[in-house]
Amino acid sequence: MSEAVVAAPAPRPASWPGLLLAGLLAAGLALLLLRLHATLPPGRWWHAIASSGPLDMAETVARHVVLPRTTMALLCGAALALSGVLLQRVLRNPIASPLTLGISPAAQLALGAAMLWAPGLLADWREGVALAGAVAGLLLVTALSWRRGLAPGAVVLAGLVVGLTASSLASALVLMNGEYLLSLLIWGAGSLAQAGWEPVWRLAPRLLLLAALAVLLRRPLLLLGFDDTSARSLGVSLLMARGLALAVAVWLAAAVVAEVGVIGFVGLGAPALARLAGVRGIGRQMAWSMAFGAALLWVADGLVQLAPGLRSDLMPTGAATAVLGAPILLWLLPRLRDTLPEGRGMEAGRRLSRPWLVAGLLLALLPLLTWLALALGRAEQGWWIASGAEWEALLPWRAPRLAAAMAAGAMLAASGVLLQRVTGNPMAGPEVLGLGGGAGFGLAVLLLLVPAPSRGAQLLATAAGAALALAVLLIVARRGGLPPGRLLLAGVSLSAFFQAVVAAFQATGDPRAVPLLGWLSGSTGRLGPEDAMLAVATAAVLLPPLFLAGRWLAVLPLGDAVAAGLGLRPGRLRIALVVPAALLAGAAALTVGPMSFVGLAAPHLARLMGLRTPSTQLAGAIALGALLMGAADVLARGLAFPFQLPTGLVATLIGGPYLMLLLARRA
Amino acid sequence: MKRRTVLAAALLARPALAAPPRRLAVIDWGLVELVLSLGITPVAAGELQSYRTWVNDPPMPAGVLDFGLRGDPNMELLWRAAPDLILTTPQFASFQPRFERLAPVASFATYVPGGNPLDLCFANAAALGRLLGREAEAAALRDRAAAELDAQARRLAPIGDRPLLMANFIDARHLRVHGGNSLFGTTIARLGLRNAWTEPTNFWGFGTVTLERLADPAARLVIAGPVSPAVMEGLVRNPVWQALPAVRVGRVAILPPCWAFGSLPTALRFARMLPDV
Repeated sequence: MSEAVVAAPAPRPASWPGLLLAGLLAAGLALLLLRLHATLPPGRWWHAIASSGPLDMAETVARHVVLPRTTMALLCGAALALSGVLLQRVLRNPIASPLTLGISPAAQLALGAAMLWAPGLLADWREGVALAGAVAGLLLVTALSWRRGLAPGAVVLAGLVVGLTASSLASALVLMNGEYLLSLLIWGAGSLAQAGWEPVWRLAPRLLLLAALAVLLRRPLLLLGFDDTSARSLGVSLLMARGLALAVAVWLAAAVVAEVGVIGFVGLGAPALARLAGVRGIGRQMAWSMAFGAALLWVADGLVQLAPGLRSDLMPTGAATAVLGAPILLWLLPRLRDTLPEGRGMEAGRRLSRPWLVAGLLLALLPLLTWLALALGRAEQGWWIASGAEWEALLPWRAPRLAAAMAAGAMLAASGVLLQRVTGNPMAGPEVLGLGGGAGFGLAVLLLLVPAPSRGAQLLATAAGAALALAVLLIVARRGGLPPGRLLLAGVSLSAFFQAVVAAFQATGDPRAVPLLGWLSGSTGRLGPEDAMLAVATAAVLLPPLFLAGRWLAVLPLGDAVAAGLGLRPGRLRIALVVPAALLAGAAALTVGPMSFVGLAAPHLARLMGLRTPSTQLAGAIALGALLMGAADVLARGLAFPFQLPTGLVATLIGGPYLMLLLARRA
Repeated sequence: MKRRTVLAAALLARPALAAPPRRLAVIDWGLVELVLSLGITPVAAGELQSYRTWVNDPPMPAGVLDFGLRGDPNMELLWRAAPDLILTTPQFASFQPRFERLAPVASFATYVPGGNPLDLCFANAAALGRLLGREAEAAALRDRAAAELDAQARRLAPIGDRPLLMANFIDARHLRVHGGNSLFGTTIARLGLRNAWTEPTNFWGFGTVTLERLADPAARLVIAGPVSPAVMEGLVRNPVWQALPAVRVGRVAILPPCWAFGSLPTALRFARMLPDV
């Protein structure tokens, strides 16, 4: 299917992109002048900029802090935007970007690992290390989606999986090396702070060179807009052009990560903005996207510097771009005319003659594996299986966290099944659609308003947050019959937005934000019997009624017309199913944090095992979700012994590669 | 807060006959410093390797069990260590119910709203002494600390005219700067010195800032270690660092490792390491 880069039916005046850009640039300039004025009286600006003699402190700040930071914002914004345009064009995928394809997180992980194990490399080979990580990330994503012909849906799914896995690994590194890798944390959030022109002089020539290359690639890229067969008949060496354009895109992203860290959204938002503003044609799109990217990041960074945190703590620019950019994108989304080709994710799989047998077997395995999970542990002498009195003695330490984790896994899996079926989108999941982030937002608001909230209140807050996220998502996506691409784009933006808000709350240094830290990473060590009971009880109340909705779940993915033809009201059905999905996601997030792959992976696994009717898929996914999260909890206790890893993070680390394996195997 | 206070009070009110707790699991590094200074070796403490890098004074004796991360302790290991008392701070409050299943818990805050961390370190030393049956040692520690601070105040009197700007590097471009409500801040106040950082800071007394914010024209710059070799090398070519007024005239001291969230031993070491020129 060719990407329908159909011109918007409603033509815009040609001046529209220009006006928008002028507005952004004016705002950026105003913010820069404000910042300069706060640094130095205008009379001395010229001296600070042009003088070759000695400068005083204020002049040094103007010349070596304010101006390079501005330049860096413009350069990074342009570089990320160009990278985004190239990726989107080559992969024919309007939601491709350095972040959604896992390129930036992979580069960041490579730098983090080098910082820890080969710090010598970083002195001279910083960019090389980032590039190696970025290339590895993209190769992995490409390999995973190769057999599906790099279909947009498959590519983005692989990209999300790779990206989340890489950032989880990076967080694990930070956790285990605490104080030492604090820098990695700041820089993972993307800080544009500068002290000198060196980074600018490194980045500027690269951007110039790579942009020139991109201009040369304009013609082949234009042809890439058509589908493969027509492009081939035009005599273009498709593979060559694709490869070159990808190399340019990856290098741009890696160079930015190496200098300032991960800055999300710009690579996705700027090209989208250009398209929405009515810019057509690849050459113009590249130019306008770069201009928009530069201006967007400039404005965002200017605002960040204007508000240096409530208690003089630093707000990372990367987080700010998400806070500012995500709502803009959400607002603009319904106007996005490009349609994402129907990404029927991983449809294949056997059809079983007796699916209930498999689902039943899975459920029957649960007690056995639960026992094993309680017995298996690690001490100084290594892994061992406890029995008898020791098993009993360890129970109070292992049982609550395991029970809570398994209940959360089951709830995430069920939520995933509901979301995938309701939206007809195989890539949907509570994590990807921003429900986990929404839950975190709910928890943050509660902590802000109520001192020492009870468990029940926390459960309500996370559920309400998840419901809020889902409501926003559905309202945004409604005006288009929920096409998968738009929904995912909205979900990813929403997720980034909520994460950034929570990060900003933490950056204020407010002690009320401290409990969020353990929660964000998905640590289960703090959970006691009461928490476990609450999680299990919530699961026990919410899960069984879902099986009554089997018929609805079977009909909804077939489309509204079919549903209506069967005498059902699809709109009401959706709401009836979406509410429990949000509640489940919120309750699970309270236990294992906002991120894990279980809600995405478990429904897929169930379907791949041949469980394709709604009820059997639901039963299988619930069992698999509980098993995955249970296994994650056991590994979390022992993997980095004596350090405990957060269970949510380990679930991402085992769910990610497993999902990758599946993606690669399924043609 | 209430429950913890009650608990600590209950512990303090134990009949004098019962032997004081000796098998201590200590969650917080600041409390580790205090316990070691009172002559007690804990049975378990967290992140021992990082302790060596960031604190290391008093040194951690051999044979202490490493229970893993302070922020996510390995409960099974703690249980195996069979402590008869767990010492913690409100920062680890989310784990308190779990700790209480294991052994009696005493929580000591160094940071409270409007509080003075150095005073609280003194108070905590006294409370720990009572709790552990080491009143004499605690009293000696407090007296020694007070005397030492007085002596350092006299030694540092000549530099009293200049405020101190205290920070430590996160990376080459970001630092934590320590305000009046930090341990360092209250320590120099006790020494009769002024803090150059008067902007608001967070609950723990620090703010995360970029390098140029250290451009106080009058201040003496004190960088608490450790500073990573990469950052150290980069400073030579860093125009902003070179332009800092304190750097231009050489009013900079880069101290050996000095953990900003420590307790009395850290405060004393910090005071001793402050240069008087």
